Amino acid sequence: MTVKGLERFKQDRDALQFAVQGFEQSQSPERQLTVALVKAILDNYNRIIASAEEGKPFIANSYANAPELLAALNLPWYTLSQIPYLPTSEPYILDEIDEAERAGLGTDMCTLIRLGINNVEAGRVPLPTAFIGLLSLCDGTNMLHQAIAHNKDWHNIPVFCTDAPYLESERSIDFHADELRRMVSFLEEHTGRTLDVDRLREVIEESNKQYELWAEYNELRRAVPCPHSAAKGSQAWSVAQNYMVGDRRGTEWFRQLVDITEQRVSEGKGSIPNEKIRLFWFDIRAIWFPEVTEWLKAEWGVCIVMDMTGYAPYTLIDPSSEESMFKGLAKRNLCDVPMVRQVRGTADTLINDLMMVVKDYKIDCVVWPAHMGHKDGAASVGIMREVCRDLGVPFLQIGLDLFDKRYTSMDEIKDRISKFFTAMGLG
Amino acid sequence: MGAWKGENELETTVKSKALQQFQEATETIVNPELKKWIEQGGKVVGYFCSYGPEEIITAAGMVPIRIRATGSTGTELADAYLSSINCSFCRHAFNMGLQGDYDFLEGLVWLNNCDHVRRIYDNWIRKVDTPFTQMMSLPKMTTDVQVEWFRDELKILKEALEKHLGITISDEKLWKAIKLHNQTRRLLRQLYELRKKDNPPITGAEALAVVVASTAMPREQFNDMLKELLEELSDAEGITDYRARLMIVAGILDDPAFIKVIEEQGGLVVTDSMCFGTRILWTDVNEGASDPLTALARYYIQDKPACPRMFDTQPQRSKFVRDMVKEFKVDGVIGERMIFCDLWTGENFMLGGDLKEEGIPFLKLDREYIMAGAGQLRTRAQAFLESMGR
Ligand code: SF4
Ligand code: SF4
Repeated sequence: MTVKGLERFKQDRDALQFAVQGFEQSQSPERQLTVALVKAILDNYNRIIASAEEGKPFIANSYANAPELLAALNLPWYTLSQIPYLPTSEPYILDEIDEAERAGLGTDMCTLIRLGINNVEAGRVPLPTAFIGLLSLCDGTNMLHQAIAHNKDWHNIPVFCTDAPYLESERSIDFHADELRRMVSFLEEHTGRTLDVDRLREVIEESNKQYELWAEYNELRRAVPCPHSAAKGSQAWSVAQNYMVGDRRGTEWFRQLVDITEQRVSEGKGSIPNEKIRLFWFDIRAIWFPEVTEWLKAEWGVCIVMDMTGYAPYTLIDPSSEESMFKGLAKRNLCDVPMVRQVRGTADTLINDLMMVVKDYKIDCVVWPAHMGHKDGAASVGIMREVCRDLGVPFLQIGLDLFDKRYTSMDEIKDRISKFFTAMGLG
Repeated sequence: MGAWKGENELETTVKSKALQQFQEATETIVNPELKKWIEQGGKVVGYFCSYGPEEIITAAGMVPIRIRATGSTGTELADAYLSSINCSFCRHAFNMGLQGDYDFLEGLVWLNNCDHVRRIYDNWIRKVDTPFTQMMSLPKMTTDVQVEWFRDELKILKEALEKHLGITISDEKLWKAIKLHNQTRRLLRQLYELRKKDNPPITGAEALAVVVASTAMPREQFNDMLKELLEELSDAEGITDYRARLMIVAGILDDPAFIKVIEEQGGLVVTDSMCFGTRILWTDVNEGASDPLTALARYYIQDKPACPRMFDTQPQRSKFVRDMVKEFKVDGVIGERMIFCDLWTGENFMLGGDLKEEGIPFLKLDREYIMAGAGQLRTRAQAFLESMGR
């Protein structure tokens, strides 16, 4: 059966398959964890492809949105905002950004959003049974959801977005918990699946174990030298929130992560041989990260000890009742998800996270990459600078695009960072 | 409609004192009417967005004004806190706050309307000393659930104002305020009615000045002045010397000079979908409802023309524009956007597609809050009119 939008998925699946074979040769335990994650991604691809071809339900999600519920409903899903992060997207990304611009999406809207809209407009993602979105993030995500609903091919795809209050309170959590219940009713209606509360409990209990282990792992990352670079934090998030949600394989993945990290810490092994600068990258990862991180390591002895994605293991959920589980999921969805956590509400969380990370992880400097999409962050830069000044930690704002490496050239980024380190007497 | 002979100044044929006062009010923040109010000991509360619940501020005995950055000449102070990728309206407005231009405010109310404005709140409460500040949580959907949520938000604001001022805002006061603001809306709609004529008696730039003034001075005075203007315009000779009838779709556009440049090219702006336009005047708060706060919540969430930030309203927003095109016999639509505004990037992307399907000419225009030079705008407007064969 030919399904629109599946060609690219199949191509990506094949490329991932190829990559796994290459990775599998590696003996490094860290690399084996990466292999386990890529295998889970592959698995997800295969489930989506099979569901699309067999006419079985599958979901498109924009980002986050309590995936524990999808896991409990046994619904495969793909996440639009994850696609550009997959290594398989790399060869196309710059052309696709240009294509988005030609399509009329301009140059100043978050590139992740433009890529998301453009992937839908260009028919590069399979038409799902239903689409779900979360309205708590930035303005760009809101428009992404609207553009999807507006697209002609997607007109008949049922859409549900969960609304999210701005301020953090019990009332907000209750409101959002009800939104999640409405989302479940919507999914049940359009997929024929029914939420089994006992199954949800199993998923949540398993995800709690994952978050406990993640918290342990983050404790270990406080060690000097730091046992891993920030990449493992991003992987942890992908495991817990995207590809092994509430899944025993994910728990095992975290357990191994903790074991190998404990070992490294006890042996005093750092992620880089001679750690000189402990840096807090206060954003999500850039898709071109390896180019800069390798240079940071080699040239300056920098370890990115923490970033936005790796910082916040989610709050554990009380699985005792349906109500407590929905409330817990609402809290996770509003207050824990990377990006949502820092972007959704007032600047208070941003400030608190900044202070905690700097203190707990013995940070030498904070880099706010100033991704062109983060308009809210861009308007918080003075606040961040003052917080860092009070903490006595140097702060650098760059101005770049996490997805388009042409926005600020690699040379310029390196030059800015070098000048900053030199001026601050770091390294 | 004669052949277009070149740059011309379209303007009403009526010499109106009220109109002149409205125009003056758009050139400054503290206009003479507001100044008088403040001198008499009256209090003023600002708000940042077309969802700002003016009626509650009025019911508290104060004058609500929409925050603008009119007259701002730079953003040097704000630039220490914000970035160059922030919307220039926000940068100028915050700069004015830092400069003390808004020190006369008793209070300021925010909603999380967009990523830029909501962070102005975080900066403002840390850097500017305004006695009363409140952030309200505005939903992004428009079902009954959101109406209920927003009713509670209104109640929280009402109670906070009561506490701050040591007063009680009774239902009676709320109904009185609702009636007053509805009257403003009705009068403004009468003005728009006149713009439907083949020869409208007022230009788009002049109409914008009237709407801006409606958010900038005590409403009783405004309503009286607008009645006067409507009287004067009722049998005025209309404008004949234009090339095409245009509609503007935009977020914050409070500078009549912008529209004036377009109109100088012969494109008469006859209607809009703007925050200083139909979005605040096209519908009324239901005066027959039993609870004033519910009536207000329903108005803001469901009844007033929605802003692009309301997720589930794109089909309505698009229909609104297409209906206006028919009702006002519009030849072409201009979608104006402030640079770095993601909401309006998305909106123009979708609206452009919808209008194209219906064969309605559409021009996307990006701009900065303070109009630096008219050259490029003039060229784009001219080219647009020519592309329509006008
Ligand atoms: S990267 Fe920032 S701007 Fe882009 S989608 Fe995420 S939160 Fe929004
Ligand atoms: S123009 Fe856009 S970015 Fe600027 S205040 Fe309005 S909605 Fe926000």
